[in-house]
Amino acid sequence: MSRDLPRRVVAATFARSFLIQGSWNYHTMLGSGFAFAMLPGLRRLFGSDPDQMDAAVARHLEHFNAHPYLSNLALGAVLRLEADGSDPEAIRRFKVAVRGPLGSLGDALVWATWLPAVAVLALSLYWLGAPGWAAALFFVLVYNVGHIGLRAWSFRLGLAAGRDVGRHLGKTDLTGWTARLEPVLVGSLGLLVGSALAGRGGLVESGGVWVALAAAGFLVGMFGGHRVWRPAAALTVAAIGLVALFGVWQ
Amino acid sequence: MDILRVGALGGLLGLDGTAVGQFMVSRPLVAGVLAGWMLGVPALGGLIGGILEVYLLVSFPTGGARFPEGATATVVAVAAAAPFDGAGVVPLGVAVGLVWGQIGGASVTAQRHLNSRLVPESGDVAHDGSRVVVAHVAAILLDFVRGTLVTMSGVIVGRVALSWLTQHWPLSTGPSIGLVLVGGAVSAGVLLHDLGGFRKRRLWFVAGLALGIVGTRFL
Amino acid sequence: MAIVLFRVDERLIHGQVVIGWGHQLWPDRYILVDDELATSDWEQELYQLGAGGAGVVFSTTESARSRIAEWREAGERSILLTRDIDTMRRLAEDGILSGERVNLGGIHHGPGRDEVLNYLHLTAADRESLKAIAAEGVEVSARDLPDSHRVSLQTLLKG
Repeated sequence: MSRDLPRRVVAATFARSFLIQGSWNYHTMLGSGFAFAMLPGLRRLFGSDPDQMDAAVARHLEHFNAHPYLSNLALGAVLRLEADGSDPEAIRRFKVAVRGPLGSLGDALVWATWLPAVAVLALSLYWLGAPGWAAALFFVLVYNVGHIGLRAWSFRLGLAAGRDVGRHLGKTDLTGWTARLEPVLVGSLGLLVGSALAGRGGLVESGGVWVALAAAGFLVGMFGGHRVWRPAAALTVAAIGLVALFGVWQ
Repeated sequence: MDILRVGALGGLLGLDGTAVGQFMVSRPLVAGVLAGWMLGVPALGGLIGGILEVYLLVSFPTGGARFPEGATATVVAVAAAAPFDGAGVVPLGVAVGLVWGQIGGASVTAQRHLNSRLVPESGDVAHDGSRVVVAHVAAILLDFVRGTLVTMSGVIVGRVALSWLTQHWPLSTGPSIGLVLVGGAVSAGVLLHDLGGFRKRRLWFVAGLALGIVGTRFL
Repeated sequence: MAIVLFRVDERLIHGQVVIGWGHQLWPDRYILVDDELATSDWEQELYQLGAGGAGVVFSTTESARSRIAEWREAGERSILLTRDIDTMRRLAEDGILSGERVNLGGIHHGPGRDEVLNYLHLTAADRESLKAIAAEGVEVSARDLPDSHRVSLQTLLKG
């Protein structure tokens, strides 16, 4: 049994996908958000039968977690599977299998690459002399072209491919896109470091001691990785506090 | 009374971090510019937001792990610094922001625990799904209230501290900025580490670096 | 030693693993030990997508037990993942994992599971399995991400 979904229902599901993390919780993570986004479709498909409706809502309340933008792939695919009248157990297995990969693909592409790349470019513009509002506007516009594009594309792909999203997604090579973006991010990071060094109000203007200290800090971060971030931030706060107290004491 | 307006801004931007949209207007650079604009200190907002953005470059929300909350932290930092003058406002604002980022992060964790109790689970009778809607919308509203309270409390504490400390700040502008950029440099290093380190990526990094240094001479 | 991490994580390959751990340990491949997954093509297709360019090997528990030695000596760096604690226990039987460390990542809430940590929910059977793994000479601890706090088995079993 395959049933058509009216445009209105598809549009409502897409709109609700922006709220998929609205009730993020440690028990089901995006589970409740997933069910919330599925409701227009479920009402359309099962609204006439309370028992079927209850069972459908219940199966979409189960644990789900993925990158919020790429969750749309699962959302589209599950909407398709439900409309096709697929076996509930098959739908459950699909959600279990798809959540991890969508999480890691999305985290790698968006959180670890696209977001820092656009943020670093915007920060570079700022240190190169652009006003803060222009840098922020650049960031919001460029970032969201990718963001909303990714949401729309993955929702449509999911809706079209159903359970076979794995094969279609493999052809798109999101990992390859991530790999191609990485050098851009590294180059932008160089740009940021260079402009924060030499730019107006930058480190060179602060003095040689600060350039040397910042270079040392950079090396500590580069060799230490994430575990040095928290101590470094704490040390910065402590240093600022000590300087302030020294001023008061004087 | 600007504390109420600033609190609402922190609450709204905090929503963007997780619950609503993720348009990333919750990033420090954007939050700083918006807070600065609201309080009539656009340049200060951009500078503090820009510095905190560097700190939080490596703190992305992977898989629900705890991270400092950039949106409320930045609004707190800018609003705490806004009424005062002197070279100390930027480092002291940034310090307040970094501390409040941890408190904001902890409040996000607490909210997620609260949500665990709020949302219906698959075992519960779901009826027509209205319970899902009620819980979901309630969680979003609560998150707004949380962000607002975190921001307002941070602004009050931050302003009390800065009203005292900025008067006695002993450094001039150059070293004051240098001090916060050293910590930011660690973040930039961590980001390069995440991307495979200098050895793997030196060509791109050095090319960018050269362009940045040369660029500042012409712009 | 070329197996750089043994981890129990319900979602197997996902963001915390590939970015959180992957960007610290730089594995060449992920080894997924799971009896059901080892025979399901369309699920394997999905998991391969998330590995961020690293290879993915699928294996049943039995076959994994005989290949552990080979994986250890291989030039490639591997992260070995199981979906549940029981699979890791079967892997560890007869001291096969003796001297190794097993990391507990995400196991979410479900019927009969108590919250031990934000990301870790255990059944009574899980606790027994954990003790059994430790009895095979394995150091068991929980840690979701490399830079978060490590929680020892002793503390986990108390809670």
